[in-house]
Amino acid sequence: MINAVLVFNNSGQPRLTKFYTQLDTSVQQRLISEIFTLVANRPSSACNFLPLPPLLATTPSAAATPTQPHNDTPSLITYRHYATLYFIMISTSTESPLALLDLIQVFVEALDRLFENVCELDLIFNFETLHATLGEMIVGGVVVETGLDKVVKGVREQGKVKKRREVGLSAADGLGVVGGLGMGRGWR
Amino acid sequence: MDLKATALLKLIYLEMFGHDMSWASFHVLEVMSCTKYLQKRVGYLAAVQSFRADTEVLMLATNLLKKDVCSPLAPTMSLPLVTLPHIITSSLALSLLSDLLPRLSHSNPNIRKKTVAALFRLALVYPDTLRSAWPKIKDLLMDEDEDSSVTAAVVNVVCELGWRRPKDFLSLAPRLFDLLVDGGNNWMAIKIIKLFATLTPLEPRLIKKLLPPLTNLIRTTPAMSLLYECINGVIQGGILEGTDGAREGEEIASLCVGKLRGMIVVEGDPNLKYVALLAFNRIVASHPHLISMQQDVILGCIEDPDVSIRLQALDLGAGMVNVDNIVAVVERLMQQLRNAPIAGKGFDDGRSHGVGVEPAADSDGEDPEETLRPASDSQDETTALPAEYRTTIIHRILDMCSKNTYSNITDFEWYIDVLIQLVKLVPTTGRSTLELYESGGRTLKNLSTSQATDASSAIGLELRNVAVRVSTVRAEAVKAANSLLSVSGGEGFFALGGAGGEGILTFVAWIVGEYVDGSVSSYHSLDSLIHPKVQSLSPVVICAYLQAIPKVLTSIVSQRLLDWSSEHKTMMSLLVVRVIHFLEPLAMHPSLEVQERSVELLELMRVASQAITSHGLENDRGPLLLTRAMPQLFTGFELNPVAPTAQRKVPLPNDLNLGAPINKNLPRLLQLADQGLLAESEAAEFESFYNKRPVPTVSIGPAFDILPSPRPEASSYQQTGESTQDTDAVMRKRNERRERNKDDPFYIGNDDVSSGTSTPFHDILRSANGEDVDVDSIPIMNLDLGDKILTADASDSGTQKQKRKRPKKFEIAKDENIEYENPAVAQSDTAFVRTTNDNGSLHRVRDKIKKSLLQVDSSGLGSFPLDTSGSAAEQLDVERQEAENAEMAKALAEVERLRLEMQRASERIQATDGAPAEGTLVKKKKRKQKLKHSAGDIEAPDGNLYPEADNDLIRGSYDAEAIPVMKKKKKKRKPAIAKPDDKKEMESF
Repeated sequence: MINAVLVFNNSGQPRLTKFYTQLDTSVQQRLISEIFTLVANRPSSACNFLPLPPLLATTPSAAATPTQPHNDTPSLITYRHYATLYFIMISTSTESPLALLDLIQVFVEALDRLFENVCELDLIFNFETLHATLGEMIVGGVVVETGLDKVVKGVREQGKVKKRREVGLSAADGLGVVGGLGMGRGWR
Repeated sequence: MDLKATALLKLIYLEMFGHDMSWASFHVLEVMSCTKYLQKRVGYLAAVQSFRADTEVLMLATNLLKKDVCSPLAPTMSLPLVTLPHIITSSLALSLLSDLLPRLSHSNPNIRKKTVAALFRLALVYPDTLRSAWPKIKDLLMDEDEDSSVTAAVVNVVCELGWRRPKDFLSLAPRLFDLLVDGGNNWMAIKIIKLFATLTPLEPRLIKKLLPPLTNLIRTTPAMSLLYECINGVIQGGILEGTDGAREGEEIASLCVGKLRGMIVVEGDPNLKYVALLAFNRIVASHPHLISMQQDVILGCIEDPDVSIRLQALDLGAGMVNVDNIVAVVERLMQQLRNAPIAGKGFDDGRSHGVGVEPAADSDGEDPEETLRPASDSQDETTALPAEYRTTIIHRILDMCSKNTYSNITDFEWYIDVLIQLVKLVPTTGRSTLELYESGGRTLKNLSTSQATDASSAIGLELRNVAVRVSTVRAEAVKAANSLLSVSGGEGFFALGGAGGEGILTFVAWIVGEYVDGSVSSYHSLDSLIHPKVQSLSPVVICAYLQAIPKVLTSIVSQRLLDWSSEHKTMMSLLVVRVIHFLEPLAMHPSLEVQERSVELLELMRVASQAITSHGLENDRGPLLLTRAMPQLFTGFELNPVAPTAQRKVPLPNDLNLGAPINKNLPRLLQLADQGLLAESEAAEFESFYNKRPVPTVSIGPAFDILPSPRPEASSYQQTGESTQDTDAVMRKRNERRERNKDDPFYIGNDDVSSGTSTPFHDILRSANGEDVDVDSIPIMNLDLGDKILTADASDSGTQKQKRKRPKKFEIAKDENIEYENPAVAQSDTAFVRTTNDNGSLHRVRDKIKKSLLQVDSSGLGSFPLDTSGSAAEQLDVERQEAENAEMAKALAEVERLRLEMQRASERIQATDGAPAEGTLVKKKKRKQKLKHSAGDIEAPDGNLYPEADNDLIRGSYDAEAIPVMKKKKKKRKPAIAKPDDKKEMESF
């Protein structure tokens, strides 16, 4: 299953953190920064799989023993880099690495459809939608939907009123989420 | 409320940056209970992000969640479904289960699939969920008209459950097979293949069924991920091994390898390269020859710019080496190490670095360096290698070469040369590791564990191993050790130490000391050993040096003192004085260990120097102390490699009381010593020195540690009568050996071997270098240990070696081990094997103790049966009882099975030693009885419950039923929880 989904930008600021197990906030932050240091140092030509960061590598012996091919420990970190954002998935060995890459692709494409030409700013100002999209795809660490259309449809059903993309373009308007939930300006 | 929701949204955002928002949990609850959907959504999001298991308001949220799950609006309904997995606790699961179940048959597929996923997480914390939910989930899966995305979600969940309890999912195989063949959804297909990979070991017939569609998929699919997973499934499912027709198996194996090769070569995508190597790594264990054919590609990957690809290739390299290609592979790696520049490799840099790290001397001292290095390397990313990678390469080279006690190596001179070169290539990080284990209490155990991390110590270890095990190249090894020591002479010394090479010095000093007879210039090595600069080395190294010095000195003395003349006398006294001069400052060394050893040695040296001066020239032989007494200290026995388990098998003497003071009138003795009773103090000193074994000896052979040191003159060694207890295997082996060596003039019969001194053997072996002398003629020692007898046996690795044609033959001594006498010892060994073996159950136990971050604990599911009948939703209590009994029995059977497995494993290890079978058998019976007994205890209360169960049968209504079941379940849990204890108990045997 998938243990966590993270999105952060090129300078390591988180844009989305979703842990499918309960973790302390401080531990979350440490994990993010550890993964960021790993990711940031990789050349673009390198492959999209990370070695486990020190925080997760505490039980090295648990990795795939011959008698028990799978277990509960996260063993796989897959990432993908889009423009200014890194998308990271931490998962156990039951997930397929290449399929996870595709999953990230679907996620990003879904966002792209929802926001029409998505950029980092969209995600900052509509991070609720971001969460909703992820919620359509992964529930409790289990992938429930991989079809792009269905994901988009699901989010739109929920949102009813689709997020406006000018929010991303003119952040100063502070429109935020339609429905009166304006997310004020001036916060990062 | 709007305002509050907005504020909360901002708070969530801040939480993402690491600001705690647990104080706002009540507000979160408030927003969650809003009527407006969008506000509600914010509330639920906040709950997902911030609620923890210990959040108190969770109790209050239960009702709200119940209400929202039953909401008529689909979006509202899905909010708690998505949120539940994050905040679920077992009590929450208990109260929400009944509300969630009907959602499985909701009209909206979206809701259905989310419910399935949510139920999965519920089951993880509260396994009983599955009992009621599984039939419905199964129906969803079986229903062919079901929405495809729901089916996919169910498959995902089933896959997650599948590897935990593969047995229960065998019945689903036909449906899954259909889905695989005409599913059309890649993601789902991947999951099904993964699931099948865990199922095939249980049901061999599946392999045959799966083979055609998988082969077909591998051949045709355009999706790389599916292709890869197919191959992966083939590998992991044991299909490669499991196919009956060897031809078919080979066919698919070569098809897989061919496809993987294509992934590496043609695509040029680093991801594909990586996963292909990953797959190769899995195949290599079973089909090394196939991988060896891909050598060129893999070696190409070792040069890949991406370090993680390189590491994979490196792992693979270690797996695929064989006698033929090892030289090529190692040379290539060495070249890589040599050519790649590294920041701070130069001596100047190394030294300044060493100084910088030295004061810190803690684990944190290493971290900044490790994070910085890759950063600096990334600037010239083509060639520079991070230090950790270099260390890994070195370790891998050593692993490759030492695999199966050097079965791959044909030319040990080459290997020693490689080792020497590696020393020069060790990155600078080694030093701080060394410092680390000094400061953190220098027990031997500590030392040996941290050595594993230190590359240079690892090299040293190898060098020592070769020197000990391969007697024919011992001379070369000693020569190499000598050269390493003398590199240390003068300025080069520090260079070596600064470059992280310090770890090797310990081993080098040991080799030089132990095998000094073979060293070309003993004077030279003594010179480097007592070089004044040595004193600035780390205490661990000095200790090793201190042990080596008297050995070298003794050998010089015994060589020279046969003819005693005035010039020899002056030379000797000069040497001794030099040693004394070297030792004197060390007697005040801050490290206690160094202090102790040097004081001991110092006294011995003083006595020696006295003996030299007082010894007149009229004798034609040197003073007895130097010619006879001192050599005897060190030339007792040849040291053979001892298996790490041997120590455990040494029985504890009954009369050993570790609490008792060694000497009750110690103060008086000290007083006496102060009064200058020279004779007595000399003897005591002599004794204490004698009884103290050099530390390096201990680290190869722990068994020698607690044995009383063998005295050459002791008559007890002649008591060979007890060796009749030796088991057949050993006797047979011995007879064979005798037979083989009957005509060998160099071989000396078994009976003479136990005479104590083995130096003649050593000489014989050396002089017979190149001929067919078996290493087996290494003495078989019978050490007397109370009533028990220990037989250290050099096993005969020679037989298989002799068959190979080689220009030069190397004998590799294997680890020695000790056989058992009685069940008690056997048990203690079994216990040990349990702790060392990577046994499944042990893993589980350990996992429980040390759970990894992010890990979901699913151990509760492990003992949960799913194979209940289709009408399980309305299952009767009687049935439950039975199911639980069955579960209990199953668990007990599992325990028994594991135990047997462990025992078998340990027996396998003992097989050559021929452990007495009766001892273990008796044990088994006892255990069984005990198990039965405990099973009976559990069954007894169940009997009382049956009448009640009949009442329930009448009641039978859905909601009413859930509660009594839970109660009973709790009762039932207890024995289940007790199970791990059983296991622990067993381990303590």
